[in-house]
Amino acid sequence: MRADTGFYRYAAYSGRPRIVWPGGARIAFWVAPNIEFYELNPPRNPTRSIWGRPAPDVLAYSHRDYGNRAGFWRMAEMMARHGVRGSVSLNVAVCDHMPAIIERCCELEWELFSHGVYNTRLLYNMTEQQQRDVIGDVRRTIRRCSGQELDGWLSPALSNTDATHHVLAEEGIKYALDLLHDDQPMPLQVRSGRLISVPYSLEVNDVPLFNMRDSSPERYVSIVTAQFDQLYAEGAESGTVMCLPLHPFLIGQPHRIAALDAVLAHVTRHDGVWLATGREIADWFYDHYYDDFAGFIAASDETPRAPVQ
Amino acid sequence: MTLPPDYFDYPYRGPGLDHAWFGHREAPGLPAIAWPGGKRVALFVCVHVQHFPMDMRNTPFRPTGGMERPYPSYWDYTRRDYGNRVGIFRLMRALDQAGMRATALVQAAAMSRYPALAAAIARQGWEVAAAGLDMDQLHYAGLDPAAERAMVADAVRVLREIFGPGVVGWHSPAHSQSDQTMQAVAEAGLDWVGDWVNDDMPYQVTTAAGPLTALPVAWELSDQRILFEQHQSTAEFADAVLRAFHTLDAEATVDSGRVLAVTLTPWVMGQPHRIPELVRLLHTLMAQPDVWSATASDLVRAWRSAAPA
Repeated sequence: MRADTGFYRYAAYSGRPRIVWPGGARIAFWVAPNIEFYELNPPRNPTRSIWGRPAPDVLAYSHRDYGNRAGFWRMAEMMARHGVRGSVSLNVAVCDHMPAIIERCCELEWELFSHGVYNTRLLYNMTEQQQRDVIGDVRRTIRRCSGQELDGWLSPALSNTDATHHVLAEEGIKYALDLLHDDQPMPLQVRSGRLISVPYSLEVNDVPLFNMRDSSPERYVSIVTAQFDQLYAEGAESGTVMCLPLHPFLIGQPHRIAALDAVLAHVTRHDGVWLATGREIADWFYDHYYDDFAGFIAASDETPRAPVQ
Repeated sequence: MTLPPDYFDYPYRGPGLDHAWFGHREAPGLPAIAWPGGKRVALFVCVHVQHFPMDMRNTPFRPTGGMERPYPSYWDYTRRDYGNRVGIFRLMRALDQAGMRATALVQAAAMSRYPALAAAIARQGWEVAAAGLDMDQLHYAGLDPAAERAMVADAVRVLREIFGPGVVGWHSPAHSQSDQTMQAVAEAGLDWVGDWVNDDMPYQVTTAAGPLTALPVAWELSDQRILFEQHQSTAEFADAVLRAFHTLDAEATVDSGRVLAVTLTPWVMGQPHRIPELVRLLHTLMAQPDVWSATASDLVRAWRSAAPA
């Protein structure tokens, strides 16, 4: 086991190269719906169990299934009404189980990126080759059902091994989302190739807010809009990223969908907001800031350190 | 640790779900169903009538409301029992005042212990569905199938002896099922089951003993979830229900109604400080011209007459 991830160096929030998003925008706002398939009787991964109750956990399984039957359609309609595209964190088995959902995503010109095969098949204990095989499966499946290339990665249920991000870079993934260390994209330290992190979020993610922090819809709106307002203000100095992760089984409930309406109305009434996808943010960063940031980080790391007692 | 090769087998990866109880249905493909009188929203209120034994084992998990403190936990036991002595009579009056008829999800032990409560429920004219034996007789995969069949049959027999042949529905304690539960429910001659929380609308379940209609017995929009587990206020509960009403009412048409399912619990909502808010909520809902107060059998009847099998 390691004492840190090893995938990034320290980089203070002040003094960084200044980011300006396309059109002079100060904040890149992107929405990441997690479109997931949890299996009723998943195989056991020794590191972490899936369900709170013994299988079949009908309550938890059916709660998630609500997202694919009802919640997705309501959520997608609301996003389209506000002109906001999604970047889908996709369990690619959904392409096989429920192709109509993927067709709707493609109609709406959403990006598809990897959230593994099923949310019940975790990366823990996978060899590097096994992870490469999963990446290949995901890439082929996304290409087959959408024609898109696989550029982004959020590990299923945020499960990792110490090697995962090295493997992602070697397999040509452009951006990774599991590292929650920053509000701006960051170059990662991988053993070969290039990889960046793009900010995802657990702070304004509907699963922690509704299922762990027990928030009401009203409180959700207040937290998410406050997050936006602060990142928007800071974006005047240097461009920030706000990710709004969604789960259709939660935000798509009849008592919550108006909260998404309120959040998207708040965001889209501001000037200087770039409504982006994950891929677009990654591409802009690679094209304009990757080298500057890599240089800044390397220079920071050369700063003489105070002696450690 | 390594993973066995079959961790990468995906035996159900294809169209539909990973079980055979029902097919995948998506909101855009809902069959149109008109409620009586051209009403758009069927208000489906269920009331839990539970018994929590003080010596309960909480096996294989502690259900919501299960004993938390060391035995003998008067702290837990008497507060659950309060619901059957006092709280339920407040709910009866509140629903009466609003002109509503509830569907009671009744556990057999509560009726065997308290014949006076059984008589009160019968006088009230609520529809009664079987909800198992008590909160310590959970349905889960570890049960012997014959023993589970007997649990279902015993509960149905006790309730039919008291309430007659109108007992045609099933709710499993804590929404928990084994792989055998729904077949046992069909074998007991019941019409509907309300455990899975994956849809706003009814759908058909297939079992080896015949079909059942699945009804959306609310879990998200329940006082056990929002008030007891999530510690939100009664006003926040009312706000969530009204938000759900506005969403469903906007989605419904005269030809295609929706179900607003709300589940109440005497030991939660039957507290004095909560009742005024509940009364206001029910009056607000029943004052809507498009709302129809429906019991489970009302829904099953309308569904079966209108929807394809």
